[in-house]
Amino acid sequence: MTEKRIPLLDVHRELGGNVGEFAGWTTVIDYGSIVEEHISVRKTVGFFDLSHMGRLLVQGPDAYRLLDKLVPRNIESPEGLMVGPTAFLNENAGFIDDVMPYNLGSDEWLVVPNAVNIERDLEWMRSWAEKLGYNVNIIDKTSEWAMFAVQGPRSVEFMKLLGVDSSVLNLRILHFKRNVRFEAAQATAVIVSRSGWTGEDGFEIIAGIGEAEKILRKAAEILPMLGGRLCGLGARDSLRLEVGFVLYGHEIDEETTPVDARYWWVFKPGPKKECVGCPALIEALRRGAKRVRVGLKFGKKARIVPRQGDKVYVEGVEVGYVTSGAFSPILNRSIAQAYIKPSHALLGLTVEVERRGRRYEAKIVEFPLVQPTSSPPK
Amino acid sequence: MASEIRVGNYIVLSDRKYTKTDEWVKVEGDIAIVGITDYAQKKLRDIVGVELPEVGREVKKGEAIVAIESVKAAADAYAPISGEIIEVNEKLLDEPETINKDPYGEGWLVKISIKKPEELKELLTPEQYAEKIQKEES
Repeated sequence: MTEKRIPLLDVHRELGGNVGEFAGWTTVIDYGSIVEEHISVRKTVGFFDLSHMGRLLVQGPDAYRLLDKLVPRNIESPEGLMVGPTAFLNENAGFIDDVMPYNLGSDEWLVVPNAVNIERDLEWMRSWAEKLGYNVNIIDKTSEWAMFAVQGPRSVEFMKLLGVDSSVLNLRILHFKRNVRFEAAQATAVIVSRSGWTGEDGFEIIAGIGEAEKILRKAAEILPMLGGRLCGLGARDSLRLEVGFVLYGHEIDEETTPVDARYWWVFKPGPKKECVGCPALIEALRRGAKRVRVGLKFGKKARIVPRQGDKVYVEGVEVGYVTSGAFSPILNRSIAQAYIKPSHALLGLTVEVERRGRRYEAKIVEFPLVQPTSSPPK
Repeated sequence: MASEIRVGNYIVLSDRKYTKTDEWVKVEGDIAIVGITDYAQKKLRDIVGVELPEVGREVKKGEAIVAIESVKAAADAYAPISGEIIEVNEKLLDEPETINKDPYGEGWLVKISIKKPEELKELLTPEQYAEKIQKEES
C-alpha cells in the first residue's frame, strides 16, 4: 500500500501531536494522553482531524439512482440532509463499507466512506454505474479537502468562538450547510454538518487544505478557553466503543451482515426491496443472526485492554471473540465489543475473555456502555 | 535531583543504567531497582494495568517479569540482570498510571538482588541509551 498521510500532519506535529499509523494512513494518534482527550470530549469539547476518511463526490443526472441502487435504506431526502449512516452491501449482504451520504442537491451527493475502503468504494460505485449504464461522474476529493470533527457538550460554544453564524449553530442533527464562514479564523469551509461520531453533540467541518489549516490553528488557540483539547484517533476509538459504534475491519466486514452487527441504521426503517444486497439482507432477517454483536464490561480489577481476536468463554466453552476493546476512562474499567454465538448472546451473562494466557471475567451488556453527556438537537 | 539528558521530548537520567528494551536500572548496594524509561512510558501512553512477578522468584537476565497494559499496547518489561525478586511495587496494581507520572521514581517496578555483578557492565550508559532513542526516532 502506498503510504498516505493526512494533509495537515506537519501542523499537528508542530502543535504537539504524536503521529502513528491508522488504516494505512499516517495521522495523529494522540496529543499526549488518550485518556485526557477522551474525557475532554465527554466533559467539554474535543477537536479531531478525520482527513483519513474519504470524501467522494457523486455527480450527474443518475447520481441519486446509483446511490439508491447501492444502499439498503431509502435516501429520498431534501437538499442539505445527511441520509445515513447506511452501507454498501455485497450480494450476500456483507459490508463493502458503511458510508454517510450527503444530499448536496442538483444531482450531486457527497459520500464519506471509511479510510480503509476509499479505493474499494470508488471502484464499487464506478463498476455499478458502468454495469447499469448510469450517467454519473465520481470524483475523489479526499486529498484536496481536510475534514475535522468537533465533539462534546461545549461544541456549540466552540463553534461560536470560531465565528460561525447562528444558522450553523442551530443546525439540527444530520443537517448541513455549505460555504460556511469562520470569521475568527478568517476561513471558509466547504461543508459544516452536525452529527455525533462519538455519541456527543458536534459538528464536522470539511474545508480546502489552506482554509482548514487556518481553522485548525484557531481551534488550537480557542480550545483551552473551554477546557477542550486537540484529540487524536486513539481517543476516538475508546469514545466510539463506549457508545457501541462499529469500525470497519473490526465489527463489520464482507462476511458480516447488518443483522449480525445489529446495525439497524443502515437499513432504517426497513430494507428496500430493490438494491444490491437487499434480497440477501431480507433473507438474513428471515434466517436470523449467525452471531450477535454485544458489549462487554470488565471488572475494575481486570486491568487489561482486550484486543481484536481475544477469545470469549463460558464455563470453559468458547462462545465468541472480541472485535475491539479499550479502557473506558468514564467507567474506569475495560470495555469491548464481541461477537457471541446467538445461543449465548444473553445480556447479563458473565463470560471470560482470554488475554495473554489468562482469563478475565466480563459481563455481556447492551449498548451504549456510556450514556453521552450531550446530543445534537433533533 | 539527578542530572539528565534530553532527547526531544524524552528524558534520560544520568544516575542509572539502561537496557535496549527500555528498562532502567538503579543500583543501591547489592540491590537493583528496575523500572521502564520515560521513552517507554511515552510510547505506551496511558498505562491501565500491570502484572507483577511474585516476590522470591529467581529470574534470569532477559526474562519477561512484568506485563504492562496500556491503551495502546500490551508490553513486557524484562529483567535487566539475573537475581531474586525481593520487592515489587504493589502501589502500581491500583494506580498503574504512576508509571506515566513518575517513571524514574514512584513508578518503579521491582527490586532485584544482584546475583552476577558482572552483568551490570553490559548495561547501557545514559549516553548510549540516549543514542538508541535518537536512532529510533530519526
